Amino acid sequence: MSHTAAAHPELDPTLALPFPQAALPVLRNPQLRKNVAHAIDVIQAKRGKLVEEKTDWQQLRQAASAIRAHALNNLAFYLEQFETRCTAAGGTVHWATDAAEARQIILDLLRQENATEVIKIKTMTSAEIQLNPSLEAAGISVFETDLAELILQLGKDEPSHIVVPALHVNRSQVREIFARRMGLENLSDDPQALTAAARTYLRQKFLTVPTAIGGANFLIAETGSVVVVESEGNGRMCLTLPRTLITLAGIEKVLPRFQDLEVMLQVLARSATGERMNPYTSLWTGVTPGDGPQRFHVVLLDNQRSSILGRPVERQTLKCIRCAACMNACPVYRQTGGHAYGSVYPGPIGAILTPQLMQMQHAQSLPYASSLCGACYEVCPVKINIPEVLIDLRAKVTDQERGRFNRFLDPMYLGMKMANFLFASAWRFRAAQRLGRIGLSFFTSRDGWIHSLPGMGAKWTQTRDLRGLPSETFRNWWAARAAVGVELKREAK
Amino acid sequence: MSAPSTSRQRILDRVRVSTHASADPGYDPRSAYAALPRSFISHGELTAEARIHLMIERLREYGAEVVECSPEEVPATIAAQLAASGKHVFVAPSGIPPAWMVTAAWQISGLEWNLDQWDTGHGLTTAEIEKAEGVVTAAFCGVANSGTIAIHHSLTEGRRVLTLLPDWHLCILHAGQVVETLPEYFGRCHVPPSLVTWISGPSATADIEMTRIKGVHGPRFLHVILVRDPV
Repeated sequence: MSHTAAAHPELDPTLALPFPQAALPVLRNPQLRKNVAHAIDVIQAKRGKLVEEKTDWQQLRQAASAIRAHALNNLAFYLEQFETRCTAAGGTVHWATDAAEARQIILDLLRQENATEVIKIKTMTSAEIQLNPSLEAAGISVFETDLAELILQLGKDEPSHIVVPALHVNRSQVREIFARRMGLENLSDDPQALTAAARTYLRQKFLTVPTAIGGANFLIAETGSVVVVESEGNGRMCLTLPRTLITLAGIEKVLPRFQDLEVMLQVLARSATGERMNPYTSLWTGVTPGDGPQRFHVVLLDNQRSSILGRPVERQTLKCIRCAACMNACPVYRQTGGHAYGSVYPGPIGAILTPQLMQMQHAQSLPYASSLCGACYEVCPVKINIPEVLIDLRAKVTDQERGRFNRFLDPMYLGMKMANFLFASAWRFRAAQRLGRIGLSFFTSRDGWIHSLPGMGAKWTQTRDLRGLPSETFRNWWAARAAVGVELKREAK
Repeated sequence: MSAPSTSRQRILDRVRVSTHASADPGYDPRSAYAALPRSFISHGELTAEARIHLMIERLREYGAEVVECSPEEVPATIAAQLAASGKHVFVAPSGIPPAWMVTAAWQISGLEWNLDQWDTGHGLTTAEIEKAEGVVTAAFCGVANSGTIAIHHSLTEGRRVLTLLPDWHLCILHAGQVVETLPEYFGRCHVPPSLVTWISGPSATADIEMTRIKGVHGPRFLHVILVRDPV
């Protein structure tokens, strides 16, 4: 049995390889590609059917987009309102400018609780701030309770999708991980049996661990409420049974009013999992005596979001409600899966979000991980024009490189400079064509194709053939044809 | 590491600079909010009968069991459902009508009822609720379009833990509580509720090869009694 991935995937953008290199192991792993393609085809088919039956889909998208844009345009107002209402309801609001501060706040809260164990609801924001490793380093055992996150945690793997994070793992791989880590030798690879094993494994944790950490799908400014959207009930367990609950949420997650959920809940499940509604959605407000955790903390995370907010084209990135429809629709993601993006946020949204979270200092290859086909924009329930942002970020990457001194050693830069020089004069262009035809003729096979090139050219011919240059250029052919035409006309006279 | 209050100020200042917003505490974005486009479908067009049919159909698509009855038949229908469940230890919130339990207790031998009277300080412990095999509650609203049941955790709907730990949930929903669209449900929330659980079928996952598996951590069995109120 081949294993999940060749090596432990690197999802820290400061350490990850550029996208084209990171994608190679996946492109060479047919099992992984099959797992990814299968999962995506299933979600896409379900989503397509349910969006089609919704006759007001475009109106819902328009409303969802407008609500999110309005919330961002007035973010300071709504954040303060959320803080006031949440505090009045018995919650405590903390503010973290960056990942390190958020980790420290959470760690301090856990120490106050004397926590040695925490149960966790799936939250990509906690992966963004690399929370689990820092908790483990502080001696706190972390139990992921979402089935997919559990598979990844026990298998020492990383998420490759933001809604179904283990979609790259198939049932026999899950069986192998569970059998090994839960000590269940006779476990079958039937998803029903695997799910039951997870239920049994986690039940005691839900009932005994007094501290939980989760994320937020939405924060409601009007009421100070928090909303978590899920399927399995692990979220409800973590939100209900522990004594203390810590919610980590990006500052952009705020919605003005409770009623805005009438739009968001209609578009989210359809876009994310192709369901009319996800099985469970929970809303709570601060602390309710006698019901659920009696100590409740919200950590509001900035981590570059406030600077993304200040850039007119990029601001729309923050409208995202993390449904993952863009990655399910993306032809690039379908081939490479999520790990190649070197970030907890893969796919088209990751390609625009990750470099911005990194202040354009890392992950600069991601804006190029797209064919700009626009499928992501078309499916986005909050109408983020991802291609527009991709192009803008590409311009920023190019501007960065323009300022680099060692650009003179970059073959791409030199090639572009050379092309600029050649294309600027008809004489030089024709000379280059003649030289090129002579040069390439040594590599062109009898069938008219170039199968292998040396040096830089090998990057192309490694994975595909190149059409050889024709024996004459269009200009030559046109000139010759015109000459013949004149000749014929003269004869006809 | 900066003090929390400083971080708060720094984040809010940066957000204000980025959005060109003023720090004026009197600022109110209400008029901009009121102008947001909301041209989606708010009100359904189905007849009352068709709406109930849709609700039942959608619940069944999720794998929930649905039976219908008249208001007088509710206690007997509950008793029949409990008897058919093969389970014996049940819990219920303190606010449910006493007749619901009396009839059932009278009809089924060996049945154990535990009322969660947390509102009067006699709540069940988590261990006691975990021991229960089933739970019977009312609901706030049903949304036919998506087969969703909204529970606002009142005294008839119970604390959150009550409808979470028992594996079998019997929910009594009146036809008059069923709306067609989600916006209609929000129209019925005159004051935003502070606790809500929206339930659309039993707990489920599709995390392994996108195969839908019913029943992970929440109740694996959802039964609904739809009460046909006289029009």
